[in-house]
Amino acid sequence: MTGGAWLCLAAPLGGTIAILLCGTRIPRAAAGWISTSSVAVAFAGAIWAFFGVHSQSRPQIIGFGNALPQRGELTTAWTWLQSATGHHVFSVGLQLLVDPLSAVMMLIVSGVGMLIVLYSVGYMDGDDEERRYFAYISFFVFSMLLLVEGGNLLLLLVGWGLVGLSSYLLIGFWHERPSAVQAAKKAFVMNAVGDATMALAFFILIAHTHSLSFGVLSVHLSSTETSLVALGLLGGAVAKSAQIPLQTWLPDAMEGPTPVSALIHAATMVTAGVYLIARTHAIFEQARTVELIAAGTGALTLLVAGLIALVQTDIKRVIAYSTMSQIGYMFLGVGVGAYSAGMFHLLTHAFFKALLFMAAGLVIHAVANEQDIRKLRGVGKLMPFTKWCFLAGALALVGIPPFSGFFSKDSIVASAAALGTWYGWIFWVCGVLGALLTGLYTFRLWFLVFPGEPSPFVREHYHDDHHGREGAWTMLVPVGILALLATFGGWLQWAPKWHPFTSWLAPAAPTLAAAAPTSTQEYFTSAATVIAGLAGIAIAWAVYSEQRLAIPAAPFLRRTFEHKFWFDELYDAVFYRPAAALAGVLFREFEEPVVLQTGPDLGETTLAAGDLMRRIQTGLLRTYVLFLAGGAAAVVLAFLIVR
Amino acid sequence: MSGPGVAWYIAIAGFLFGIGALGVLIRRNPLIVLLSLELMLNSANLALIAFARHFHNGAGQVFALAVMAVAASEVCVGLGLVVALNRKRLRLDVDSLSELRG
Repeated sequence: MTGGAWLCLAAPLGGTIAILLCGTRIPRAAAGWISTSSVAVAFAGAIWAFFGVHSQSRPQIIGFGNALPQRGELTTAWTWLQSATGHHVFSVGLQLLVDPLSAVMMLIVSGVGMLIVLYSVGYMDGDDEERRYFAYISFFVFSMLLLVEGGNLLLLLVGWGLVGLSSYLLIGFWHERPSAVQAAKKAFVMNAVGDATMALAFFILIAHTHSLSFGVLSVHLSSTETSLVALGLLGGAVAKSAQIPLQTWLPDAMEGPTPVSALIHAATMVTAGVYLIARTHAIFEQARTVELIAAGTGALTLLVAGLIALVQTDIKRVIAYSTMSQIGYMFLGVGVGAYSAGMFHLLTHAFFKALLFMAAGLVIHAVANEQDIRKLRGVGKLMPFTKWCFLAGALALVGIPPFSGFFSKDSIVASAAALGTWYGWIFWVCGVLGALLTGLYTFRLWFLVFPGEPSPFVREHYHDDHHGREGAWTMLVPVGILALLATFGGWLQWAPKWHPFTSWLAPAAPTLAAAAPTSTQEYFTSAATVIAGLAGIAIAWAVYSEQRLAIPAAPFLRRTFEHKFWFDELYDAVFYRPAAALAGVLFREFEEPVVLQTGPDLGETTLAAGDLMRRIQTGLLRTYVLFLAGGAAAVVLAFLIVR
Repeated sequence: MSGPGVAWYIAIAGFLFGIGALGVLIRRNPLIVLLSLELMLNSANLALIAFARHFHNGAGQVFALAVMAVAASEVCVGLGLVVALNRKRLRLDVDSLSELRG
């Protein structure tokens, strides 16, 4: 079982190294196949680890009776860091943790990752720097697996930083585009804020518990310390998962290649915040207020992102805002304490959001890289396969039964209702309103792009892959598989009736009793969200397909949405402009007069001193003798006087 | 031990040193300059010997021998320079040799 974990971790890293070492000695396509097969090996390792955990459980359940079985295994390769202060020894090992939670994450990352890397083989075909792309993306899979498998908080942070790095590299992959470089920088800086707060939380933990293992999280700290640690971790989660207030980097990250958006900015990396909260739930439960802040952040983000998605015109940006919104649901879920509901939504979201991105990628690829949905009308007629796959993803996203989103999203909203407090009901209302918005923006996209007669632009630019197909088989196969998963993946669990997923996660992250909804609440919530989603679809149909309803003018609201609630402008005014102004002042008042002037001044002084010294170099022997004699006389005099 | 006190020897040595230094400073002929240098070295020798006798210590005499050896080598180099100047038919004047002027 731990062998599977090590294999899972090592294979993508091996793929990266192999591609780097081979360089130009292998053809471009080979890099793609090395990468795909290394991630496939990782998937095999993840399955091995999963069944390892699975087989471990049964005897222990019998042995422990009703108590939660301790499942999973910690494996340490070697001690990585060790230091001692006084009689406290702080030591961190290179260790992996295989437990139900990390096994699920390993399966998602390597499984969906494998499909997306396979898709990249077709998508990146013919790009100038394919090998670099595949080296990066294997490295990303390695980093993400390190994040989810890391057996202590420090290794988790290492993976956390490395996924940030690979995300930076891949967003800026097309480095000849200034906008891509800007977006990469923005993502890196925003994430650095979160990394910093996490590091601060770790410092507090080290100072008070002398350890960074997951076990210390349930040790009792003072309430201030607990809250600070939880807030620090929440800061990291919020930055990585693009939640308010650190959300502005995600839409810009769409500058990267589409498979990158699917893998990093939809299926895996951005959901790392949800994983972090589920993993460190012990500390969040001790600081319940902070956990509820996480839920509130999620609720706010899911509404704000849904509203912004209504007015976006770039196909990838609509999906990006939808990702933010869905991660808002996951934060809501783990924030109220329904960890398995949040993780289940993470799983289904990985399926349907990767599917939506890759279907959008097929469209973008087929119509000369056009991403403006106003030009793409009617593309579905030329691309029926893409159209039906996209529809499956869209229905799963809105949460229409029997598609997967229905099973996962409703549990989250229901667990908000299960809280029974006033904020629980606010979260519930947000969740239902979010479902309405999801239906609206998703089917706005659908009605604008897929049905109807192809627009002249589409007719002019559409081209297939020269074999009459909508794309290379490497692109179509993963999309097909994900469409099946998006449709049927949710059947894994239907909370009111059977819940294998929740029981599976229970040893690692048991749902709080306060957030466990009754069957009535589940049915009631399901009805509400499905009706809201259908209403959203109906409005989208009336407005964008039939054009029976006009879009309300409301220019102020429209401008607010188009400016993304002015977050970019706000950060520009609060952080960028003062910093730039301060830098300008310092340049004029300090750098120019002091720093830049010091060098020339030093030089001139030296030259002047040299001129002075040159005068006494007469070349006359007798002058030198005179100086010598004078000097000797001075020394003698000095001795006489001092004596 | 009889004879004049050490102060007399030192006075003569100082007088000789002064004459030598003055010669080095004001004369231009390199031969005279070398002569004056010898005078200075020998005044130092006189002082060393005088102190050696005064303190009943042989070290001063050893120093004096070493100074004589140095003086001999210095004269060799100095006279060699004078011969070289003469060969190039340059004026025997130390002031004209000021190539190293700054």
